[in-house]
Amino acid sequence: MPRKPNNSRQTRALLAAFLERSRTWRHGYDLSKETGLRSGTLYPLLMRLSEQGLLEPRWQEPERPGLPPRHVYRLTTAGLALAREQELEAVAAERAGVLA
Amino acid sequence: MSTWRRWAVKLAQHASSALPGVHSPWAEAMRREIDYIADDAAALRWAIGCVLASYRTRLMQWFNPRTSRRQVAASSALILLLAVALYDSAGGQTEPPRPAPDETICDPVASPELRQDRGGLHRPTDAAHRTCRSDRPDPLNPKK
Repeated sequence: MPRKPNNSRQTRALLAAFLERSRTWRHGYDLSKETGLRSGTLYPLLMRLSEQGLLEPRWQEPERPGLPPRHVYRLTTAGLALAREQELEAVAAERAGVLA
Repeated sequence: MSTWRRWAVKLAQHASSALPGVHSPWAEAMRREIDYIADDAAALRWAIGCVLASYRTRLMQWFNPRTSRRQVAASSALILLLAVALYDSAGGQTEPPRPAPDETICDPVASPELRQDRGGLHRPTDAAHRTCRSDRPDPLNPKK
């Protein structure tokens, strides 16, 4: 049986973090702290999601002078749909586990 | 700037240079994030992760079926081209014929020059040949 794409524990954690504040632009370090993913894992995931059209990146001007522009990310509509679907699956799996 | 921070910046720069092409904005994003991390040790950990992320992305690119098929095709064409070039340059070249002493006329036992170089490749000079001939009795004219 082929493995479902974007279904790894790390990807699910990342999508859940995005879904929590779906309208906010998030930056890498913030996501790393929230999900516990290190930069070596986080960025390849972000790149892959962006290539799949699930994530929208952009450069954000710094809030304080003297700092460089920052890369920020937000889920696209397709990304949001996937994140919601995964959340529902997780809830269903949890319920099934409780009932069993 | 502390030593850890300096190392973090260097590593992030390396990560950035290791990830060229379409992924360069991502490499730049990872590098710039260092400036927003206040803790030096955390910045260093972040930079090490950036290097790993760059290498991982490059490897994934290398093993991407679409890319690897192109690379295999290009490598095969190059190898074929090299093989044809080598075959062309080596074609027609054979080992030069070994000079053999004319022993039907000249007896190596009688010729001092041949006796010295018996083991090696040696072609007797005309002078030696002549000497050799004069030493031996002519089989057609034994009286001479």
